[in-house]
Amino acid sequence: MQIELNNIKPTYMSYAEISASDVYLRENVLFVKGEKYLIKANSGHGKTSILNFIYGSSNNFDGQINYNKITYEDTFNLRKTKISYVFQDFKLFPNLTVFENIQLKNNLTNYKTDEEIDSLIKQVLLGHKKDSLVKKLSLGQKQRVAILRALCQPFKFLLLDEPFSHLDNENIKIISNIINQEIQKQNSSLIMTSLGEAYFFDFDKVLNL
Amino acid sequence: MLFKLQKKTLVLSQIIGYALTIFVGVTIILATSQLYFDIKPLLSQQTEMFKSKSAVISKNISVFKTIDKEKIYFTKKEIIELENQSFTKNISKFNSATFKINAYSKKTESVPVFYTDLFFESIPDTYLDVKTDEWKWETSLDFIPIIIPENYLNLYNFGFAESQGLPVLSKNTISQIEFNIQISGNHKSKDYKSKIVGFSNKVNSILVPEEFLSWANKEFGRINKNKTSRVLIEFNNPTDKTIIEYFNENNYSINKDKLEFSKLVFFFKSALIFVFLIAIVIIVLSVSFILLSLNLIIQKNKELLVNLYNIGYNYNRIAKFYQVSASLITLISIISSIIISNFIRNYYLAKIINLFDFTANKNYILLFGISLILILVLVYNILLIRNIKKIVIPRNEK
Repeated sequence: MQIELNNIKPTYMSYAEISASDVYLRENVLFVKGEKYLIKANSGHGKTSILNFIYGSSNNFDGQINYNKITYEDTFNLRKTKISYVFQDFKLFPNLTVFENIQLKNNLTNYKTDEEIDSLIKQVLLGHKKDSLVKKLSLGQKQRVAILRALCQPFKFLLLDEPFSHLDNENIKIISNIINQEIQKQNSSLIMTSLGEAYFFDFDKVLNL
Repeated sequence: MLFKLQKKTLVLSQIIGYALTIFVGVTIILATSQLYFDIKPLLSQQTEMFKSKSAVISKNISVFKTIDKEKIYFTKKEIIELENQSFTKNISKFNSATFKINAYSKKTESVPVFYTDLFFESIPDTYLDVKTDEWKWETSLDFIPIIIPENYLNLYNFGFAESQGLPVLSKNTISQIEFNIQISGNHKSKDYKSKIVGFSNKVNSILVPEEFLSWANKEFGRINKNKTSRVLIEFNNPTDKTIIEYFNENNYSINKDKLEFSKLVFFFKSALIFVFLIAIVIIVLSVSFILLSLNLIIQKNKELLVNLYNIGYNYNRIAKFYQVSASLITLISIISSIIISNFIRNYYLAKIINLFDFTANKNYILLFGISLILILVLVYNILLIRNIKKIVIPRNEK
């Protein structure tokens, strides 16, 4: 699967704000199978927006996004098996436990077994929080849950929106290892946004927004 | 998991409020409409004589009228005037016999010997409250059927028979007794066999078939004596104040009991319609209430629902929980209503059967109840899907 962006412009941003971008207003910006991409920019330059446009959770843009050369009216159907997304604001359910939040996503495809989920939770050092409500977790803990949840489905693209903003180096190392393994296993691509350089993945391409 | 998550979004007090109001509204609707269907034949049977709303009118008899009897008759002008009143729907004259009538028994017969003068009147058959096969007359037959007021029999049984030491008679016994009628006038007379074939609760007169009376008046009646002293009026609306005012002004006497009964029926129907309308209002309010509540729940939990959509749950699946909840509550409430309405029906049927000769109508409660469930469930399902779809799918703000 490949994703192609053509002349994308957020409707709420001016030409001046995005004229120097490697992504916005460009023809044939390609994200291809098996590659890792880093989209870099300062705050307010539309990092989250570009991921939302690709994921289909926002339509407030001009231009065209093609998935395998097809333009979809509604990208909802890609969410179960083609594109997975770690939201910057996590979009977790505070009244469910850590395990239930992950299970809620996993139930859609039954991609992982309960044992696999258990093992992932332990790997990210949240074994003791497995049955705690998410509303009682710290931001860093929530961020780890959100990342694990995104890995519990088949995908061709994994979108990560500033995924390590609340994590220390040790946790970043653990998480990035898990992500790398999953990407290799699924032979898929990764698009990650970040404020600055990120050294945890071997990015094939770095794009400035 | 999804169930656990969405269950927490419901507000129990709102659900109970809806369940109770829809239960009350539907119970009233089902019970009143069934009551109406059950009572309808009874009402029409009771008011058959006086169709929907009618009364017998005559002139008041004063001292002067005892001297000048002509004044008790309605003139043609007066009848036309009555016909033209706004409250009059239809008018029908009582026909009276203008010849001499005697009833008697012969010594050989099993009945005590009697001889008495009589009078006859007739009204069109459609206004009769007695239905019998014997109510017919043909020139070739020597038999005249007679209907007497039920209160004549009471007068005899509880008054006359008591004071004279005579036996009391049942309706059935009286109907068995055959006696003779002699009619005479115009210098001729004729004898007939006769029997009492029915008892009227409505018409306070001795009635014979109209065909017979018209024929006999021609044969035996005094010429030009075909006058009307009583008329039967059907009203458009028996509660019209002008009716009583008009009759008082013209010094007409109105059989108020009958009018009262007609009024009672009219009030009963009005009350039933009123209660029915109130129940409709209750149902409309409770349906609006649950739709509003569900909308508030959807709005209040917009973020949760949008998040579900974002992680891959489609709107049909998100809406399913609310659809099932609303449908299930409606189903339980209306089924309870159906059960309670049937209890109410059995209760009032038991009472009515004690009071009247009555066969119950078909039971429509289940049919109405299930139709209502289907309609409401359909409405909820369509509206919920629409609302959730509107909330979760990102709008294009270009």
